[in-house]
Amino acid sequence: MIKKILLVDDSPISRRIMKSCIPKDRDYELFEAGDGLAGFETYKEIRPDVTFMDLTMPIMDGSESTAKIREFNPEAVVIVCTADIQIKSITNVLELGAFMVMKKPPSKETVEDALLKAEEHIG
Amino acid sequence: MDYCLDIISDEEKEILQEIMNIAFGKAAADLAEVINIFVVLSVPKIEILNSQDLPSYLKTEVSEYERVSIVEQNFWGDFKGSAFLVFQASAGRELVSLFGDNSDDFGSESIEALEKETLMEVGNILIGACVGKLSELLGDAVTYSPPRVVTENTHNDAIPANIFESGSSAIVLKTVFCFNERNVNGFLFLVTSNDSILWLKKSLVTFMEQYE
Amino acid sequence: MTLNELTQVFDTVNFGLVVLDREIKIQYWNRWMAMHSGLPSDQIIGEPLFDFFPHLSTPGFNKNCKSVLSFGNFAFFSQKLHRFLFPFKPDSSFGYRFDLMQQSCTMGPLRSDDNSISGLFLIVQDVTELATYEQKLVEMNTKDALTGIYNRRYLESRLQEEFERHRRHSHPLSLIMIDIDFFKKVNDNYGHQCGDVVLQAVAEKTAAVIRKTDFVARYGGEEFCCLLPETAVDAAEIIAENIRTHIEQIENIFEGNCIKVTISLGISGLAAEDSPETLLKRADDALYQAKHSGRNRFIRL
Repeated sequence: MIKKILLVDDSPISRRIMKSCIPKDRDYELFEAGDGLAGFETYKEIRPDVTFMDLTMPIMDGSESTAKIREFNPEAVVIVCTADIQIKSITNVLELGAFMVMKKPPSKETVEDALLKAEEHIG
Repeated sequence: MDYCLDIISDEEKEILQEIMNIAFGKAAADLAEVINIFVVLSVPKIEILNSQDLPSYLKTEVSEYERVSIVEQNFWGDFKGSAFLVFQASAGRELVSLFGDNSDDFGSESIEALEKETLMEVGNILIGACVGKLSELLGDAVTYSPPRVVTENTHNDAIPANIFESGSSAIVLKTVFCFNERNVNGFLFLVTSNDSILWLKKSLVTFMEQYE
Repeated sequence: MTLNELTQVFDTVNFGLVVLDREIKIQYWNRWMAMHSGLPSDQIIGEPLFDFFPHLSTPGFNKNCKSVLSFGNFAFFSQKLHRFLFPFKPDSSFGYRFDLMQQSCTMGPLRSDDNSISGLFLIVQDVTELATYEQKLVEMNTKDALTGIYNRRYLESRLQEEFERHRRHSHPLSLIMIDIDFFKKVNDNYGHQCGDVVLQAVAEKTAAVIRKTDFVARYGGEEFCCLLPETAVDAAEIIAENIRTHIEQIENIFEGNCIKVTISLGISGLAAEDSPETLLKRADDALYQAKHSGRNRFIRL
């Protein structure tokens, strides 16, 4: 069961868009972080079930943050959500252990679909 | 000068930033998929300037280049303005070997002319992809003037002194791009004037409405 | 305005207008296109463009179609780079230097009501006359009026270009400076008209003797300069000697007199520390030495 969701993105607008796409009727607890490092720190603290991760961010980028989270918890479910949708970048984050990659902008459908897949995976 | 800063709010700036991010990501992905051009576009930056300050701003931004080649193209629609693609002058040669269409016979044309034409073609496609995706997300479709290439010894000569009439303000959208196969890089500036600002504000609202 | 009225306009305008769908099949072909191609519109509409113009199916053209169909940008096919898209005869055969009509073409997107791109249009402009003027202008700017070979200005810009290219790839590059011996005497004895005939003959012969990749320019009064790309000085010596022997055999007939001239030559080859100026200077110094050691010979430095 997914209870806690962490959103890591440096753009408040982007986090707002993402939040609006997350189903409201399931009482998810949402947490936010504004860069990769803050994302990693928040992850350790709250241990979310699912993390949505942007790639291009200041201080620490999303790839490094994903790698750090996966190192800390090899079971972590990190869904990368990015505008950089070139094959090379996608393969790279999947190799680092991202659960899946979603392209921006997200929509209610794509987010719901991603959460469903994560739910199945977690079991 | 202060009035410049007021024309769009910080929030509007952030929305525009995010839209550009998405647009340029799509542009890069499509360029790779559709026509095999692999380009990396940096996270775009937005500056609001008084149009008098525009030339000196552009000069400062590209000051690391000793000699520059600039591809200039205007676009018209609800979203209208000018695109400036600034390369280091030596980039022309690299681009010829990257994009040169060997099936064409260039005959007696000098290397210089060939470089210029290649800059024009590459510029046209890159500007078209970025402006096209951006205006698409904003719900507009634009048309373009033919691109023009200026190669000059210094950026001082290459950047026109009066791009827009004085007194108006300009929104400058800046991104750094790099053709990763050849390490050719440069700047893309999209400059849009007063005329588009009202429309732009409205489009930003419309865009966000999908997510309320 | 009705579609009929618009069609009348499209059929009268003095440029080609073609509409293609996403599969690059012809949807519209105006009268200008029909007239110049000899293909009436009812014969070609609905057919793939490449069936009639297979040479257009190049990677470059396809790339532009794809780009316009996915980004909605415009593609410009300049006369400079492409010469033409459609192989048509020029409108008039007078005064044109081209066998085929020179064209400047524009491609752009066509959108349906929902803004999606449904196809593309192609505008074909005849720029043969303009291209002819441009060619004449370029010639006036780069050629020497008397001899018809390149002028000094062009040589200097070409030298700069070749210099940079050769140095970057560390390839050999040679230069030959040529001066006609005792040319002043030809002018003094037979008049300037005769001098002109001799200059023309030397220019013509030199241009004929050098290889296709070399080129020769009139550098000054009776001075010529050959630029030899991808050529080391040893090979340049052979070419210089070849030019020298050919020139001394020319028999210039002027007003019943047979005038023969010889030339002196100075050769220089690109060295690591060279600039275009020092390369020219060494060839000039070599020429000076050739003059002072008896003329009708070459010296290399």
